[in-house]
Amino acid sequence: MKRSELIFQSIALITLAVAFILFWNFSKGVSFVENGTLFDATVTDSYSVLQENLNRMIPILLGAILFSVAIAFYLEEYLARTSWKYQIIARQIAILASIPSLLYGILGTYFFVFKTEFGSFFTHALTFVLLVLPITIQSTQRAIRGVDISVREAAYALGAKRRHVIVHHVFPHAFSTIMAGIFIAISRTLAISALIIVVYVWTEHTPQSGDPFHIPGSVIVLLLLSLLSSVLSSFLEAKTNWS
Amino acid sequence: MKTKIQVSDLKVHYGNIQALNGISFDVYENEILGIIGPAQSGKTTLLKVINRTLEFAQGTTVEGSVQLDGVDIYSIRDVHGLRRRIGMVLPLPVGLPLSIYDNVAFAPRTAGMRKKAELDEIVERCLQQAALWDEVKDRLDSLGTKLSGGQQQRLTIARALSHQPEILCLDEFSIAVDPITTMRIEDVLKTLKDEMTILLVTNLVQQAKRLANRTAFMLNGDLIEIDDTDVIFSDNPASQSTFDYITGNFG
Ligand SMILES: Nc1ncnc2c1ncn2[C@@H]1O[C@H](COP(=O)(O)OP(=O)(O)OP(=O)(O)O)[C@@H](O)[C@H]1O
Ligand SMILES: [Mg+2]
Repeated sequence: MKRSELIFQSIALITLAVAFILFWNFSKGVSFVENGTLFDATVTDSYSVLQENLNRMIPILLGAILFSVAIAFYLEEYLARTSWKYQIIARQIAILASIPSLLYGILGTYFFVFKTEFGSFFTHALTFVLLVLPITIQSTQRAIRGVDISVREAAYALGAKRRHVIVHHVFPHAFSTIMAGIFIAISRTLAISALIIVVYVWTEHTPQSGDPFHIPGSVIVLLLLSLLSSVLSSFLEAKTNWS
Repeated sequence: MKTKIQVSDLKVHYGNIQALNGISFDVYENEILGIIGPAQSGKTTLLKVINRTLEFAQGTTVEGSVQLDGVDIYSIRDVHGLRRRIGMVLPLPVGLPLSIYDNVAFAPRTAGMRKKAELDEIVERCLQQAALWDEVKDRLDSLGTKLSGGQQQRLTIARALSHQPEILCLDEFSIAVDPITTMRIEDVLKTLKDEMTILLVTNLVQQAKRLANRTAFMLNGDLIEIDDTDVIFSDNPASQSTFDYITGNFG
């Protein structure tokens, strides 16, 4: 095995392990907060509610990711680049994608932290979905377009129908690049979750320790995970270039 | 002699670039037709029109007609069925990300074949025909892309035979294959001729001389001449440029 491959695989493993631990802790909700291992004992009840709401984003995000991959395949494989449907959808996505993620962060903190009466679960979810959707759709589109035309031609030359070509040829060839895009989206989501928690803690809650700029342990973990995700993403991107 | 393919006044444009300038010729059933000519002469384009994979390039237009058994290929509704009647081998092996077995079984499966015994039989026969069976029979489950370049090319030949085509198109198949394997595949082609019609695009004029019943010479999108291989390779083919190309005094 190449050394680069080894590094790549260990990073993937570490990320998975940490994500699993975090997910497991999150799913246990309150005990995670009380244990004070990642969070401090200074947290309040409303803090755990925020935490809960962020945890509930996980299935929604996974759904959004699957949805965006499907949308991208629909756009690239089933619509002509010149059709009005393609044009309209692609333009909307381009607009969404061009919004800096900082704005999503501000939007997120606004809904999650300051507008709690307006900050229904729906608006929370919408913020994250709008963040993830354009990133993964566009990266998946790029991945699909990156599959060499000869692969498609060779598969169609065998008499394959479109669905066979997509499932057995385009998807496997595009897989690493699609995953790279998904990890970028995950990385940004984690970073923004971290931002929301920090802003929350700084505004809503005066820590008893007297440190006004206290940073909860979970934020550090989220940021580390975010960093790992983006590293993983660039490894995946590089992997497609080797093969 | 029965006409298998009839090409009439075929013109192809890629956007503004004209790749075929209105060529006409017939291909007879169970012959090997060699197609030779320098780079950019339109040989690959011609093959892509015949199996209708030219449609995947952007902005192409096709005028004129190509008839297969007397039926215009552009009037055929079931394009997948049409493509299964034609086996295509490209210059460089295109790695399909599947096991060796699945590569060969792919086309029969997409055509609806499910029986393991039948698939096994096809996989073995096609790999035998492509002179690859002995090298891979013990590792049919390993990835096709892990084979050497020459082996991958023979895998694409096996794949092209897997849907039992009536016509086999080979586009410079020996570019990535060593000379000994090339000879083995050439022997296979000689026997396959009894079952199918073969269009052999080749940059090795000697390969056409060895295998083809008739040979066509193409140049810059024109069909300069098509005749019995003996005539094309004789001292006086109809066109001086054919003679120059074959004797290597070209350009
Ligand atoms: N996808 C494409 N887009 C634009 N022009 C193309 C495309 N494919 C081929 N052409 C052009 O069409 C002409 C014929 O090309 P073609 O590939 O058919 O030639 P060829 O005889 O197969 O050449 P070679 O021996 O190099 O394979 C060339 O001028 C080429 O530049
Ligand atoms: Mg060519």
